[in-house]
Amino acid sequence: MRKVFKIYRPFTHAGVLLAAQYRINFFFFILGDILRCFINYFLWHAVFTSGGEKTFAGFSETDMVVYIFISFLTSVIAYSDGSYAVGEEIRDGNIAMRMIKPIRFDLAFLFQELGERLITITLIFVPMMLGVEVYKFAVTGVIGFNILNFILYLFSLILAYLITFYFNVCYGYSAFILKNLWGANFLKDCIVGFLSGGVIPLAFLPPAVAVTLNLLPFASQTYIPVMMYVGMFDVPTIIYSFALQIFWLIFFIILQQIIWNACVKRMSVQGG
Amino acid sequence: MIYVENLKKEFKKTIKDPGLKGSIKSFFKPKNEIITAVNDISFHVPKGEILGFIGPNGAGKSTVIKMLTGILTPTSGKCEINGQIPYKNRKNYVKEIGVVFGQRTQLWWDLALRETYTVLKEIYEVDDENYKKRMAFLNEALELEDFITSPVRTLSLGQRMRADIAASLLHSPKVLFLDEPTIGLDVVVKDNIRKAIKAINEEENTTVILTTHDLQDVENLCNRIVMIDKGLKVFDGEVSDLKRRFGQARELNFVPENAESINDLDYKNEFLLNEDDLSVENNGVSVTVRFNSDMVSVEKMLNYTLSKTHVKDINVTDADIEEIIKGIYRSEVSLDA
Repeated sequence: MRKVFKIYRPFTHAGVLLAAQYRINFFFFILGDILRCFINYFLWHAVFTSGGEKTFAGFSETDMVVYIFISFLTSVIAYSDGSYAVGEEIRDGNIAMRMIKPIRFDLAFLFQELGERLITITLIFVPMMLGVEVYKFAVTGVIGFNILNFILYLFSLILAYLITFYFNVCYGYSAFILKNLWGANFLKDCIVGFLSGGVIPLAFLPPAVAVTLNLLPFASQTYIPVMMYVGMFDVPTIIYSFALQIFWLIFFIILQQIIWNACVKRMSVQGG
Repeated sequence: MIYVENLKKEFKKTIKDPGLKGSIKSFFKPKNEIITAVNDISFHVPKGEILGFIGPNGAGKSTVIKMLTGILTPTSGKCEINGQIPYKNRKNYVKEIGVVFGQRTQLWWDLALRETYTVLKEIYEVDDENYKKRMAFLNEALELEDFITSPVRTLSLGQRMRADIAASLLHSPKVLFLDEPTIGLDVVVKDNIRKAIKAINEEENTTVILTTHDLQDVENLCNRIVMIDKGLKVFDGEVSDLKRRFGQARELNFVPENAESINDLDYKNEFLLNEDDLSVENNGVSVTVRFNSDMVSVEKMLNYTLSKTHVKDINVTDADIEEIIKGIYRSEVSLDA
């Protein structure tokens, strides 16, 4: 394990340097996401003020605001470029350059992405997290920060990230067959955004649909960690949710390995 | 060291009918065709040899290299390098080889060149002391100092290629694969790179397999060449062997004193040879006669020429390797011994 860290650590370092390399690009990207987040906020604000009811499917307006921002933060952290990066390398044939190195393809990508994520965490996650807590305090007048919920959230978030990463890597391998993933990626991001509860809480959906979506891996990517943070799960649900996340993580790691092995055997490298 | 036996690689290729209609049709009902890129190639390379791997575009050179480096899995046949089979246990195998694909780069595009080497140092688990020694050596051979702190995307092609070769040698590999390492480079840089390859081969007895279109590379570096065409091996042997076997061609050049006297010369009727064995070119100032020295001796050719005309200057040259290979590429027949 320590050896793994020693070998792949430079990828993290390179990831940090890469993210710092294109600062302007990075900020515009994040700015766009934050704007979307505020649009969501005003939308729900309008829903709550016009509806006249204090709560909606168990969510007060404050809960909803926290949900919007935390689910945004969660999806920023538990986001993976994997499918794009893997797909692109397969498309232009540069995957060959990774195969001539004594490294695991998935781990090299993972550690590189962790480096990029470090910057996101310091620049966005920490300040916005504080902002959400300040908002909660301003509205309710009590410090609502629950350290236990936060720790549960962090664990769940790490699992969510790993699930997202391996899911995306699996998806990226489909470039071996489809050759170009740009359109397919776009479609995937929209569908996953909805199914993972990133757009609206799954609890708002009809019970039968919500139960099904909860079981799918997408809920593990955003919905479960956010619910841990807002503290809306009871203890059995928490244990069940962690088990579900771990199950999906193992599932995708194994699936990724199987697809990789199958693809390598019949690979053709594009372009010279 | 390197054993290749009956190596074969087939690709499945989807054939599309032209136009939009064809695209839609092939989307729903793809028609496949099997293409044999490499067909039944065998060769053996002893330790410390520099092998030139040549052939026209699309001959299958890169496909062979990709199989030898573990990127592609052969359809059938065997290859064994350092006692390991490349596509099985790839991670372990690639620790002992270095690879450069001239048309791609293994350097981190957006980072300073030095960062790539730090990453490679950890990947190959090179310790600090060896790393320092190695970098000093590569620095001397490839002159990296001037641009080691620049981002890779700002390097010129020549610098990038040197940096790429250095990257493939950082871990002192036993075998070095170079796929067109001099592509697109100017004469000076080519020369530097050749010297560096030679130095590394001599110093560490590294086995080198090199594909190239530049026959200067072959003449300067290689002990031996393997030539393939359309996936088949057409020649395997030493460079001098190639010249001996296919190099009976000679070129007679002369400048006549009196331009009209050329009309007295009638090589075709004198020697009665076909186009392949004899051709005459007259540009008004000098005359070039290409002939096969097996069919007509140099002496006879000179005697005949000098008996018919007075010359200001005359010389006979060996056909260079380039001419020979051009001849082989052009002819469709296999020249297997």
